[in-house]
Amino acid sequence: MIRVGVPRALLYYQYYPMWKTFFESLGAEVVVSPTTTQAMVSSGASRVVAETCLPAKVFLGHTLTLADKCDFMFIPVVRSVRKKTYNCSKFLGLPDMCRAVIPESPPILEPEIDVNRGQRDLYLAIYRLGRRFTWNPRKVKQAAQAAWQSHLDYLNLMSSDKLTPPQAIERLTGTSQPSLFGDRLEIPLNPFRVNLQDEPPFTKGDIPHSPVSHSLEKRNGQKKNSEMSGTHKATIAVIGHSYILYDEHISHRIIHRLEQAGAKVLTPDMLMRQELEAAVIKITGRVYWTQEEEVVGAGVHYLESAVDGIIGLTTFGCGPDSLMMDVVRRQATKLKNVPFMSLTLDEHTAEGGLITRLEAFLDMLQRKKRGKSEVCASA
Amino acid sequence: MRIGIPHMGNVWVTVKALLKGLDVECVVPPMSTRRTLSLGVRYSPEGLCLPFKLTLGNLIEAAEMGADVLLMPGGSGICRLGYYGNIQQQILDEMGFKVEVKAIGVSDRKLFGVLALIRSLPNKPSWSAILSSYRFGMAKQNSLDRIEMQVQKVRPVEQTKGTANRIYDKAIKAVDAADDYDALKSAEAEHAVQLNQVPRNGRKPLLVGITGEFYVLLEPFSNLDVEDELGKLGVEVRRTTFISKWTRFSLFLNAMGLNEKQRIHRAAMPYLKRDIGGDGWESVGEKVLHSREYDGIVHLAPFTCMPEIVAQNIMPSTKEKIPVLTLLCDEQMGKPGMLTRLEAFVDLLERRRKIPSSQ
Repeated sequence: MIRVGVPRALLYYQYYPMWKTFFESLGAEVVVSPTTTQAMVSSGASRVVAETCLPAKVFLGHTLTLADKCDFMFIPVVRSVRKKTYNCSKFLGLPDMCRAVIPESPPILEPEIDVNRGQRDLYLAIYRLGRRFTWNPRKVKQAAQAAWQSHLDYLNLMSSDKLTPPQAIERLTGTSQPSLFGDRLEIPLNPFRVNLQDEPPFTKGDIPHSPVSHSLEKRNGQKKNSEMSGTHKATIAVIGHSYILYDEHISHRIIHRLEQAGAKVLTPDMLMRQELEAAVIKITGRVYWTQEEEVVGAGVHYLESAVDGIIGLTTFGCGPDSLMMDVVRRQATKLKNVPFMSLTLDEHTAEGGLITRLEAFLDMLQRKKRGKSEVCASA
Repeated sequence: MRIGIPHMGNVWVTVKALLKGLDVECVVPPMSTRRTLSLGVRYSPEGLCLPFKLTLGNLIEAAEMGADVLLMPGGSGICRLGYYGNIQQQILDEMGFKVEVKAIGVSDRKLFGVLALIRSLPNKPSWSAILSSYRFGMAKQNSLDRIEMQVQKVRPVEQTKGTANRIYDKAIKAVDAADDYDALKSAEAEHAVQLNQVPRNGRKPLLVGITGEFYVLLEPFSNLDVEDELGKLGVEVRRTTFISKWTRFSLFLNAMGLNEKQRIHRAAMPYLKRDIGGDGWESVGEKVLHSREYDGIVHLAPFTCMPEIVAQNIMPSTKEKIPVLTLLCDEQMGKPGMLTRLEAFVDLLERRRKIPSSQ
């Protein structure tokens, strides 16, 4: 059986169920790397120049751990998933970069996804990828259809049951994301874990726009907001790419920490794609980047809904974020109603410093709530 | 209407000539200085690259001089640059300038995008006026680039350091002052002769290729005059990126489907299979293509430039071996540090030339 390696980084959080279905329908076995560890980050970072961004270093670390465990490495090149959009150079150069800095890597499968070039090219890319595993074009087609279906299921599951990507992936594929820090910090191992039976089925239309009901509490299956919201210190939206927010090593479990501190946390994936895009178009005119609506769309959307504060998470050296996080910051300064803090993470980010800033931010929100002063922070 | 432009090397001469031919007033901000840089840095988001900060500084200075429309290259499918005009507009608005930043789509529609933008000027120039002034502007650019290429050759071998630079500065002024093709031709010829007559020291200089990101290659202020400094160290510099070549290929021939860059891209193919935006593909390709011809390569990139980081990661793994010195340009860069690195690099190349076995 051919083993295909999928690094648990970058696009994994958006497309993993689709990839898994595709390869398994073609009779391959999918090997996923374990969750990020410090050793992975160090090994990845040691191969590339220092200016490379943290997510790319993490990705290379994952690739390194998989190098001897699979026959093919799967590193797709996602140029665009919508017409006239464009992606960061690091995504486009990822397979070539892996080949250059990780010579021990097995052959790389690198389909190029670019809808700008038209449907035919897209289908051809998928077909060429499938031909590695079977000579039967019909089988490839079936696998691709099954994969697309499972991607839709994944998206539906996330928006209907209000799951985070790692949870939804766990539910769909049984691949769990064990927590790294769990015991040490005495935080519940997976506070996102949902009790399936308790959760009432949602349909997309049912999700009210008020941030209160967006809360992660629902994910925990706890009793709903009316009585709980009083106990919350604040409702905070955390915006950023899914590969930063949900990689517990990169984000230092910021979501969990905020919840521990008694805040309600909202994330970009709680919003529907259309809402995100509408917000992006409103603020910048058009969607320019393939990945940025989770930053700028969510940021602008949450600025206009009644959240208490917004935290933007970005990594040092992120090209698209350096522009788009600034757009959100500018909008926050203009509206002056929601405090906004942007945190830049890199491999040297110390937990202590991060916690201090989070605490200060929460304190500030509390003060603002008490009506003593109006503050608009940015950093 | 007064049109302001950011600086990139000597391109202002061309744009000025082009706009003059169309009876539009062109505001050329002063050449980049420390003030430009600190203005740009002060009002830019910190994570952005040097080209953004410097062009913003230029635009602010142009706006201070009374420009009301500012031109800025843009368009999708390149790197972050495609979005810069948009953000710079916001910044200038917040600073209280009443200006409009017009993004010139250099990648989407090539020449036609530029011409259509010119056509949309309020005085509605006729197509023939546009074409003739475009032609004249490009003629100036071609002259300047030919002179610059000659300067690159003379700099390392001149007896008195700085002679070639002085002639070059005069040549830029003369070309800028030329009003018709005859004046342009004589200005170019006169300075070419002067350059030829510069007394030489007869040494055989090392040949170093300069490659990397477009803006930092062409704007000497952003790379701390790296070409000049290499020249002083007795190194002949060669670069393939020139405005005249780039417009010929990128704006015109590309639009017609004839792509001269394909040679570079084909060379890069084994190591980098696709366009990653910016000039990353070209950087890798040029290293592969010229590895036998050059003694070494200086790779210039702005700090946090996405495509060049990918290129920088890929370059050491090519089969074609040639020393590469990557210089990252940002507002923190200091001249002594850069000089030390250049001197060490040149020493290495000289050693390598003396001991051919080490190649």
